[in-house]
Amino acid sequence: MTQAGPLTLTPSAPLAPASGSLARTGTFVLLAGVGLLVLPPLLYLVAVALKAGELGAVTIGSLVRLAAMTLSLATLATIWAMLLALPLAWLVVRTDLPFRNLCRWLAVIPLAIPSYIGAMSYIALLGPVGSVNNWLSALTGSPQQWVNIYGFWGGVFVLGLFTYPYIFLLVSAALEATNPSMEETARSLGESPWGVFRRVTLPMLRPSILAGGLLAFLYALSDFGSPSLLRVQVFTTAIYHQLNTRFDQAAAALLSFVLVLITIAILVGQQMLLHRRSYVTITGTARLARPLHLGRWRWPAALLTGAVLGLSVFIPLGVLLAQTGSVGHFLDVVREQNDYIKNSLLMAGLAATLAVILGLLIAFTARHTPPWTGALLPGTIQIGYAIPGTVLGLSLILLYNTYVPWVYGTVGILVVAYLIRFLTQAVQGVDAALAGINPHLEEAARSLAASPWRVLRRILAPLVRPTLFAVWALVFISAMKELDATLLLRPAGFDTLPVRVYIHTVEAEYARAAVMALLLIAFTALPWMVVTRLREKKLV
Amino acid sequence: MVVLAGVLFAFVAGLLPVLPADAADSLVIYSGRKEKAVKPVVDAFTKQTGIQVDLKIGKTSGLANEIRMEKAPPRGDLFISTESGIVEILTKEGLLDPYQSAATKAVTDDFRSAAGTWTGISGRARVILYNKTLVPEKDVPKSIFDLTNPKWKGKLAIAGTRERTTLAWATALVALKGEAFTRDYLKGLHANDLKILTDNTEVWQGVGRGEFAIGLTNSPNYYLARQNNLPVGVVYPDQDSGGIGTPVNPNAVAVIKGAANPEAARKFIDFVLSPEGQRILVTQDYEFPLAGHVDSSEVPPLKSIKRTAVTAQRLADLEEATLKLLTSLNQNW
Repeated sequence: MTQAGPLTLTPSAPLAPASGSLARTGTFVLLAGVGLLVLPPLLYLVAVALKAGELGAVTIGSLVRLAAMTLSLATLATIWAMLLALPLAWLVVRTDLPFRNLCRWLAVIPLAIPSYIGAMSYIALLGPVGSVNNWLSALTGSPQQWVNIYGFWGGVFVLGLFTYPYIFLLVSAALEATNPSMEETARSLGESPWGVFRRVTLPMLRPSILAGGLLAFLYALSDFGSPSLLRVQVFTTAIYHQLNTRFDQAAAALLSFVLVLITIAILVGQQMLLHRRSYVTITGTARLARPLHLGRWRWPAALLTGAVLGLSVFIPLGVLLAQTGSVGHFLDVVREQNDYIKNSLLMAGLAATLAVILGLLIAFTARHTPPWTGALLPGTIQIGYAIPGTVLGLSLILLYNTYVPWVYGTVGILVVAYLIRFLTQAVQGVDAALAGINPHLEEAARSLAASPWRVLRRILAPLVRPTLFAVWALVFISAMKELDATLLLRPAGFDTLPVRVYIHTVEAEYARAAVMALLLIAFTALPWMVVTRLREKKLV
Repeated sequence: MVVLAGVLFAFVAGLLPVLPADAADSLVIYSGRKEKAVKPVVDAFTKQTGIQVDLKIGKTSGLANEIRMEKAPPRGDLFISTESGIVEILTKEGLLDPYQSAATKAVTDDFRSAAGTWTGISGRARVILYNKTLVPEKDVPKSIFDLTNPKWKGKLAIAGTRERTTLAWATALVALKGEAFTRDYLKGLHANDLKILTDNTEVWQGVGRGEFAIGLTNSPNYYLARQNNLPVGVVYPDQDSGGIGTPVNPNAVAVIKGAANPEAARKFIDFVLSPEGQRILVTQDYEFPLAGHVDSSEVPPLKSIKRTAVTAQRLADLEEATLKLLTSLNQNW
């Protein structure tokens, strides 16, 4: 990810369209394939939503209330995530913070913690009868409620804690890639450190902050687990209510459709925001900045970093560890656990691998076709991310069970769902990397009559290889954590780790749930650790 | 690319063994009932019949939605529901196959579908759960109608209608007492700041830990709280001679229409209603057996409890109106 730069479709000089009927056919096949993957669930959603007629059980008032609640939750969670991510990114990349490499590595771990697991840990800790209230009551001798994580602000708190790595990853990568000489110059001209940050660093980071913020925002918008656990009424929980209490699929589809529309509006808005300004592309290799000496601020900065990592990594993991009970119990559950680890790794690995291959093809095609297909392809894929998992699951059941039952009966349906939800991460990541490649390289190869396929395979793919690994890890992480669609689509007898966490939690077997959650987090973080290690050793 | 293709190939190769095999003697069960309660019955069934079972555990409502989407062709053979309202809905939509046998007929009428599409396998009573440290013995309410007394203000909890047993409880009130009476009663509860929680787990934990003094929930949760060493007591409400009694909700089992393995599904129903099946099922989870007699020292005999006299069909008919009533009073229902 570090070289991916901003995760957006940056406009660049349009490359010569790929010529030849073969290339055209390829483009067409890809467009049709992506269309067939993403559009049917969306069309299904619209068709069912229309059946709701005069809004049915959903009133305009409740829609407005839901929209206001959902948008303010996502907005505040994103701001909170930025507040957590920005100082951290700057400290680990640009200063002589103690243990900066370790901190940089740890700061990504919250991505491996599904927000529903994070929410459960914080409920155990800060709930009305959580540990903190118990300790404080015992300490002061007056039993009363000191803190209460339930509600809107709890939702903001938890969502921000487990989404800030999106911003952290992109911003720290951008900080590393930008030339520090501008900042040094400003500093030498007598600008204060804060002034340098505000006037020089921050403007350079704008695209990556926006892109990371968008990822965090979209996550918060479509998350079901944590708002539901923390009792916040948002679109996803209302959809769940319509589906599972009222069995009203039309109302659920209508709500989902509104959520998809909101997401599309936000994506369009973000594109406009980025396009209005041009950002100078970084040229040449960035010289590694001499780390800024924090001096007497070194330990306060370390304390701040420790607080962020404590809240987002150590506390949730600590609570889970405490819940697992004895080491013996932990090992028993691990031994008993069936094929769950294997199932999870297989599904997420398959989805991530396909996503990287497709992402590379799609991003490459999008850059070499007329603007309308160039925008249409990634745009279509982005919408898939906006469909709530439960609704996506139900629509896939109907569509695939009816028309392609031989896919639905197998685990292949899970891969389809993961691709619809997470392919956009791969496309955006690869596209950003391709944008950074000097077009002359490609033109030279093409002038020597190399086919587009050969150019992609022999020149572009090797150049963006580090990004491909990072993108693979990102999709893998998302797919590992997926619960809502998996719950519906898994074939009987095929459970993944999140499904096991869910089942044990519902059955109030918290010790087992905690073991499964720790396994899930460990195996989700694993590929990231491997990629980072390999990168440090310059192996990829 | 070569590396990626290799990785992909390895995954596909690794995947082949996990693709479901078509066995002649197999059964796919969709269970909203807990794995902990169902798995032992399933294992005993497999041992006795040799039929391999694939179990899909989920929320009853989620699985019901799945069955509705999967009708052509259905993927599950048998559905275990934690509530009768949902199997009534599925019956109305024509998604269940009737099955009646000597075993199903041993279950009393009010725990069976009139159309023969579902049969109760075990039951849970609606109870008042209270925290023993917060509620002295003399103050323990004996009727749900005592809960509108201002002395319980801020101390009451119930699960929202996401737990369909809550909806069944309110619907039974509407059926017995009428909508106007129920509205006033619920208003009284809201005036007492009744807290509506996500699910029954939150209710028994909240009451057990002292967040609430009193919770309205299902009878097995009392035993669950006790297992977790929480100081709780239980009341089967409105048992007096003039009282309305308390609803007992069945867990129901049904054959899915068009199932690939209907014969195996029927065998399972007979098995779960057999003395052995009932014993395994109800001793796992402190429920009332609905067929035959299982000695359980902890759970009182079903006979000893006065039940509300409302049929499952009547509940299903009144459900939508009740839900409207609830949500008109408070969005959190």
